[in-house]
Amino acid sequence: MSSEPQDQTRGDSTLFFSDTKPAPLSCNEAASLCMKAARGAGMSWGMAEEAGFAAAWLVSHGIDGPSHLRAHLERADGRDWADLCPTVTPDGWQNTNGQPACPIIMGATMYDYADLPEGPHSGTTIALGSVSAPILLVPFLAEIARSNGLAFTLSWSKGAVRIDADETWLQASLQSLGLPQLVLALSTNAAPPHEPSAVSTPNAQTTAATIVVLNSFAMRTTVPATEASRAGAGATLSDND
Amino acid sequence: MSLNTSILSTETLDYMRPATEVMRLARMGCGHPTRLSFLRVLLRRLASSDWKIDRPVWNVDANGVGHGVYRVKSAERTYSLVAFAHDLPPEMRSDRVIATAWDATFTLFDGEPTAEDIARLADNVPYQEAGRISAKELTLARANRSVRLFEHVVNALAQGCQPDPAEIAAVGYLMRTTAVYGSGKFGASDRADIAQRPELAAPFQVEMLTVWLIRAFTVDIVEHIATARGGETAVKLDRDIRRSLGVGNSTGLGMAPFIVRHPVLLNNWIMAREKALARVRAQPTARSQALSDLSAALDAAITNARVWHSEHPIQVCKLDELRHDLALLSTTLNTWDWKGEHPWDALWSWGVQTLTFEGQEVLLSLMLEPHGALVDDLADHMGANEAASFRINGAMPVAELLRILESDYAWALAIDFTSPENVARFWYVSEEKLEPRLGERATEDGATLEQPLCIARLVAELHATVRNFDATQSVAALILEHPEHRFAVRRAQITAHHPYAEVQDNLIAADMLPIDLLRCKLAFFGASQFDPRSDRWVRINLFAGAPFPDDIKAGGAV
Repeated sequence: MSSEPQDQTRGDSTLFFSDTKPAPLSCNEAASLCMKAARGAGMSWGMAEEAGFAAAWLVSHGIDGPSHLRAHLERADGRDWADLCPTVTPDGWQNTNGQPACPIIMGATMYDYADLPEGPHSGTTIALGSVSAPILLVPFLAEIARSNGLAFTLSWSKGAVRIDADETWLQASLQSLGLPQLVLALSTNAAPPHEPSAVSTPNAQTTAATIVVLNSFAMRTTVPATEASRAGAGATLSDND
Repeated sequence: MSLNTSILSTETLDYMRPATEVMRLARMGCGHPTRLSFLRVLLRRLASSDWKIDRPVWNVDANGVGHGVYRVKSAERTYSLVAFAHDLPPEMRSDRVIATAWDATFTLFDGEPTAEDIARLADNVPYQEAGRISAKELTLARANRSVRLFEHVVNALAQGCQPDPAEIAAVGYLMRTTAVYGSGKFGASDRADIAQRPELAAPFQVEMLTVWLIRAFTVDIVEHIATARGGETAVKLDRDIRRSLGVGNSTGLGMAPFIVRHPVLLNNWIMAREKALARVRAQPTARSQALSDLSAALDAAITNARVWHSEHPIQVCKLDELRHDLALLSTTLNTWDWKGEHPWDALWSWGVQTLTFEGQEVLLSLMLEPHGALVDDLADHMGANEAASFRINGAMPVAELLRILESDYAWALAIDFTSPENVARFWYVSEEKLEPRLGERATEDGATLEQPLCIARLVAELHATVRNFDATQSVAALILEHPEHRFAVRRAQITAHHPYAEVQDNLIAADMLPIDLLRCKLAFFGASQFDPRSDRWVRINLFAGAPFPDDIKAGGAV
């Protein structure tokens, strides 16, 4: 916040965060900024919506999802779909080109396949291969677990985390799943169906640096002004009456 | 709320208008407020429940600069509008989003603000988008004076006179809001965190409460400045004049995409209204009280149409149609046979055959008006849990998706997108202002950055892919191979369960009028006197004729 005259006319106020000041975003702001940034970094609109969902889910669970998404987008920027998507088979979902898979594409596709034979079912283990920013997989897995009555175990060479109704695992897993990438396997077991945790966690804050990067991705979706575009905003009459 | 989960008798279902009739822009652009409009929902709640409304703080100097707090309190909850009054030089006054200072700025606080809260808000709220609010705040808003009417009223009251009724009627409000932000914008509380509260379950209730309290502020500040100027000579504003005043609002293109981006919400708004109409039409007889209430509502509509001004050629023409239709309706009702079978349905059928879209949609509003007991509960279903319909059903066979596209989107597949006039425009976000704009594809750059708002074309592109895809495969396989269609697939699956989710028109056609999208949304807000200032921005009036905080308990039609 500054009392200096600024361009107060922009559609968001996140640009006013700077330096090391805390940057508390509402979930709506986090979802909106991350969706635009993901689109700017090359995701389709429908996949970018999934990125917004995942980042905001993490914020509402006390984890700085926007910073994890930022880190992933910086690595994934410019890469083709073929280098980011999984190849779906009943026992393996690795990226065919041997690249770390995009966690948003992996998570959303996992949900798409949740009720199909290739998807995660009780008693199965799926090799996911290397996944970028694996913490971003968690929102999708937690939602599938809730809606399909499942518990997941995500395991890697040095550890594992169980994703089920009791969300105490979330903060505990942050240190491992918050790494830039991990080679993962996903095991699935039946669990009682459950509702989201009633315990409300304060929203996570993000950082001004993350907002700057996400905004720069988001700005790739915008069109520079011209005289014609200003006219396109529609104001031709005085309002001062 | 969708058709298949509703508790509608088959008989009522027979009276529902189909989406192909209701969801056309030409008709949506003739929408009128009804008793299900969001400001009416708010007023009914404030009038009927145990809400107490007062103004515990009024710290404003003789120049009209300072702050006030308006408090709305029930046994469970308190909401407080914190209003900051400023002294704005005339040359800084503009209604566009590009304005940088305002006559008054507001926030709706969740609870009762402490002195520390007020100090924090004073450092942020006056700067609007350049400030930050917190999860303790529900909305952020600002308003400018109608220079002409504000000064006239202050002068009159300061001299001990009432303002000229002609001046009041010509403008209709002392101040107009230029933005009312909610839903987590600028750090405010997220909608999901408050949507469970019964008083906030209906859409836009915090925004409506903000505007209603701003209306009280606009009169208080006028009376305050008049008293400071006129001393003992000054008088209060006549209560009948006061009641006729609303809050103006200027709304531009930025609001147009909203109803396209929120298909489940749009469905639920329209569904509630259409169910209400169906319930009224399905009644076998008409009660005499309903007939006298209808007559009173018609008189009010005729008065409203008389004072409703616009200089925009399209609206001038629509106003002529409206006034003509209302006169025709008035004459017809004088001799209407209410003893026949299903007389309300007969009246509706007469309207459909006789009236313009303006006349038909105002008739809908009039027919709902006497039937609060029959239809008001539908307002409880106008909110939407959008997260619940976000997930794609990947297990759906591609054959089923193809069937949905060819039935529910037949209107979209009928549009020829190879024809230049059908792709004449593109929606985009301006780098300069981050606001939605509409460009001309043939002459302006930026079409590669088109926003996904022309659903018809996105669906047509999806259809072209689906037609050539293995129909026995799953939707999950389709969108893994074609991620570019994920957005349209989600849309189509939503529409399959929400018949009123889509505006069934080409939103990039050369002749598309953005003001039609605006009017549909604003009518659901409860806006009256829709006044387009171009094909893409409008002035409206909110709460004109509605009670004020100090007379809402005394009754009056809400």
